[in-house]
Amino acid sequence: MKKFLSLTLALACCASVFAGCGGASSSAPAASSAASSGSAPAEIRVVTSYGGDDGNRVNFENAVKAYEEATGNTVVDESATSNEQWKAQVKADFQTGSEPDVLFFFTGVDANEFIKNNKVVSIEEIRKEYPEYASNMKDGMLPASPADLKQYAVPVNGYWEGMFVNKTVLKDCGLEPPTAETTWEEFMAMCKTIKEKGYTPIACSLAEVPHYWFEFCILNQGDPSQHVEVPASATDAAGQRWAAGLNQIKEMYEAGCFPTNTLTATDADTFQLMADNKAAFAIDGSWKVGWFAGSDDAAGAVENLDDYTVTYVPGMGERKSTDIVAGLSMGYYITRSAWEDPARRDAAVAFVEAMTTDEVVNTFAGGTPTALKSGMTKPENPNSMQLAAIDMVNGATGSAPAVQDSLNATARKQLFASIKDIVTGSVKAEDAIQTALDTPLADEDK
Amino acid sequence: MNAMIYKKKWPLILFLTPTFLFLTVYLYYPFLMNVWNSFNRIGGMGEASRGLNNPPYENYVKMFKDPLMSTAIKNTLILMALTVVIQVGLALILALLVDQIKFGSQFFRTVYFFPIVISATALGLLFNLIFLYDGGMLNQLLTNIGLITENIDWKDPSHFFGTLMMPVIWQYVGFYFVIIVTGLNNISTDIYEAAEIDGASGLGRIRYITLPLLHNTLCTCLILAITGALKVFDLPWTMFPGGMPLDGSWLTGTYMYYQTMEMADVDYGSAIAVMIVVLGVVISQLANYIFKEKDY
Amino acid sequence: MNKIKRKKLSLGQFFIYLVLSLWALTTIYPFVWVVLNSFKPKGLIRKEAFSLPIGDKFTLENYVTAFRRVDIGAAYVNSLVISGVVTAVVIVLAGLAAYAMVRYQFRGRTFLYSMIIASSMFPIFSTIIPVFRMENAWGIVNTGNIWLTRLSVILPQIAGNLSFAIIVLMGFIRSLPIDLEEAAYLEGYSVFRIFFKIIMPLARPSFATVGIFTFLWSYNDLFTQMFFLRSKKFFTITRLLNEISSQAGTNYGLMVAAVVMVVIPVLVVYVFLQKNIIKGLTAGAVKG
Repeated sequence: MKKFLSLTLALACCASVFAGCGGASSSAPAASSAASSGSAPAEIRVVTSYGGDDGNRVNFENAVKAYEEATGNTVVDESATSNEQWKAQVKADFQTGSEPDVLFFFTGVDANEFIKNNKVVSIEEIRKEYPEYASNMKDGMLPASPADLKQYAVPVNGYWEGMFVNKTVLKDCGLEPPTAETTWEEFMAMCKTIKEKGYTPIACSLAEVPHYWFEFCILNQGDPSQHVEVPASATDAAGQRWAAGLNQIKEMYEAGCFPTNTLTATDADTFQLMADNKAAFAIDGSWKVGWFAGSDDAAGAVENLDDYTVTYVPGMGERKSTDIVAGLSMGYYITRSAWEDPARRDAAVAFVEAMTTDEVVNTFAGGTPTALKSGMTKPENPNSMQLAAIDMVNGATGSAPAVQDSLNATARKQLFASIKDIVTGSVKAEDAIQTALDTPLADEDK
Repeated sequence: MNAMIYKKKWPLILFLTPTFLFLTVYLYYPFLMNVWNSFNRIGGMGEASRGLNNPPYENYVKMFKDPLMSTAIKNTLILMALTVVIQVGLALILALLVDQIKFGSQFFRTVYFFPIVISATALGLLFNLIFLYDGGMLNQLLTNIGLITENIDWKDPSHFFGTLMMPVIWQYVGFYFVIIVTGLNNISTDIYEAAEIDGASGLGRIRYITLPLLHNTLCTCLILAITGALKVFDLPWTMFPGGMPLDGSWLTGTYMYYQTMEMADVDYGSAIAVMIVVLGVVISQLANYIFKEKDY
Repeated sequence: MNKIKRKKLSLGQFFIYLVLSLWALTTIYPFVWVVLNSFKPKGLIRKEAFSLPIGDKFTLENYVTAFRRVDIGAAYVNSLVISGVVTAVVIVLAGLAAYAMVRYQFRGRTFLYSMIIASSMFPIFSTIIPVFRMENAWGIVNTGNIWLTRLSVILPQIAGNLSFAIIVLMGFIRSLPIDLEEAAYLEGYSVFRIFFKIIMPLARPSFATVGIFTFLWSYNDLFTQMFFLRSKKFFTITRLLNEISSQAGTNYGLMVAAVVMVVIPVLVVYVFLQKNIIKGLTAGAVKG
């Protein structure tokens, strides 16, 4: 019990904005309320995506161990690797009433069903009993559910999307990597030069992963504040921006910016062009840094990391090149079933608090955006690419979450699948958008 | 005589009940749910129905209008024909040949089994690297011997069909091989010895003794090839995700998976599953009718 | 046996060995490729897919990584228990059903046969959720109890392999000469004794074949295992190695090392059971 009390105190300290335990007094209510109801050590079931060979698997295991030692509670860890099947399992668990006590899951439309069915507890409700819950996070950055715009999940590490650059190829073409000032026209001119030199300008499989160019080509048609709008039809303002964005991909395709086999190759095939010094650019997410750096969870295919860097995707019109796509797409939920069981409630709340302290979040985030009030910190011994990424995120003038996460999976897949038809001219962009928005399953998730 | 042993029917209950209990509880009940799902609207595996479709049979209408579904069925039927002819044919030839030799037959039986035990992900990776556009094994080889000057994209619309079918057919030859070898071993050696005395040997023995006695085994292979082609999923999906290129490579198995797991259109996926089963039952009944199994 | 005939025979034999060896090359090569690449550093597989792992290119890193954080021994035990039970039950149940379907004439037989064929085609993606709900209602999933957890995988896997096993066994049993059964019947054997004492021993190669494939499919059935085996201590070897090699599908070195570790037990089982499939020596000696 003493251990539990001291942990809660420690947590509350971390939660206060200024470290050094200056705020010990303010944390007392939370600690006492937790202490009064908790009795015997509890066992909680936890499902996260930090399974398998996830880059943060070791960090997660360490954090869980620390929690168990501090509280005497036991954690049944049922973490797995995130994919479509895992999502289905989590949803099936909620359907059958065998959901875990704490869940680390997506904050977008994937969570809609169990949020609508009142199977998880909102942060607002938790704070009525535990006022310090998630108080080390900026409230404005806690992701709101698209189902009811309430906040449920406490995020850990976020993501950014940016442009990876192969400096060796650029040097051979007599070019410098794009910077914050590079405009879209200049970028297209670079691609043309690269193409003439016999290289592939942009490594991308339009057949399998057009997602990233979709985001940035649409962002190019407006500004970050407009980026989150999902069109209601292909003809409204957002719909027109989407059509223009898709047509921009088509122009790039026609200009030969993508690999010859972009419609028949897998993403692994095309991304390999970066490692083989055959392609100059590729857009991908923060998770791809590990692929270059060669951590355990990735192929680590490049010879010298310093020959690569990451930077802004050049912008056009209203969108500055320094406007980026970034956000927090996953977070910890506490389920209703844990909340209503006094024994597990304290354990679950303490677990989420333990997993979202400044210190733990910083070890997990490693240079990706966080919602922490204390801001983003550099990872220990960062490599050149991580440093470039931190500069990129810190220098951003605006940021928007990926708009595809607001689209229902059916509509999103439908739209992405039609990109190959749009670039080959067999389907018009407007028609593809309308078809995707018209899928019977698309409308109900908004 | 036969009639006498098997006239009393009561043991049937003991013979069949456990099996059909399993089938009913674990396959038919879930599949009936699947049939029901195909009339509902479900936006993701593991989610509840959002109500009936409008009209309820909407998915079945959609299926007949869906050009990707016609591609899938067309490809699957071709694969089925190729499976029966090439896969089972090759397996039969290899099995007959292995039956002819004394030395090393165990070795061949073991190595022919390899492709079935290696996971589709690993085989998919290997074949992807063989057929890779840029620096793949095949393109390098053809360039080195001067047959081509420019890389061939083995996955483009004019080449993908062979690239898709070859590995799928190759992988399961070993499966039919093992089944046919087993069928061969069930043939009593006395029969061969009798044939030997009658002067039948070599090809004549195969034509007049082995093949007729293998009839039932080959019928089994036929049924398995038909149902197998409708189900095949993992290797094609690893090599040609998302119906690459330009929706050309769909098979019923991959399309069902795609709609259910990727598109999260569970009700449409369920309707495709129904279609797969209907096709399978109809075609295999047809095959059974043509190549009637025999009792001995 | 004159000279000319012998020469002709050996030419024929040479041709046979040639054809068999050519096919063997296509099946051995992928296996060798997988093994060789499991000793290459990660990243090199895509870059130099067909080079040999010698000198600088040789590493045990993939196996070290695979062994580092996981309990491989326990996972092998889980795999063998689950797939062993599935195989044993399937062989007996499918044998009984196939025997009855072949030998008995009864109304509804064609219908039952269609039922079996149809059920062999139900995609697992469309049956798994109802099965999960059902087992959850029975209280055998997410219990934390190792035997209940194993049972929750074993039951659907038995059902999933029955149809295939029945189809194959029906073909084999149909080809058995009925004379022996008649003789046994005259001796006063009951049908059950006929099944266990006559049919099963006679069709031993067929049962061994069905057993091999059932074992293989149960062992490799990642989808069902993923759904029911959630926490690490219950993992089978296939599930475990998928867990450490699946991340973004990019660590090919670890992936092929995992394939090698998964494949070995299956090959052992196959070679072991294969002895049962092989014809007695007398058969091979059909004089040349």
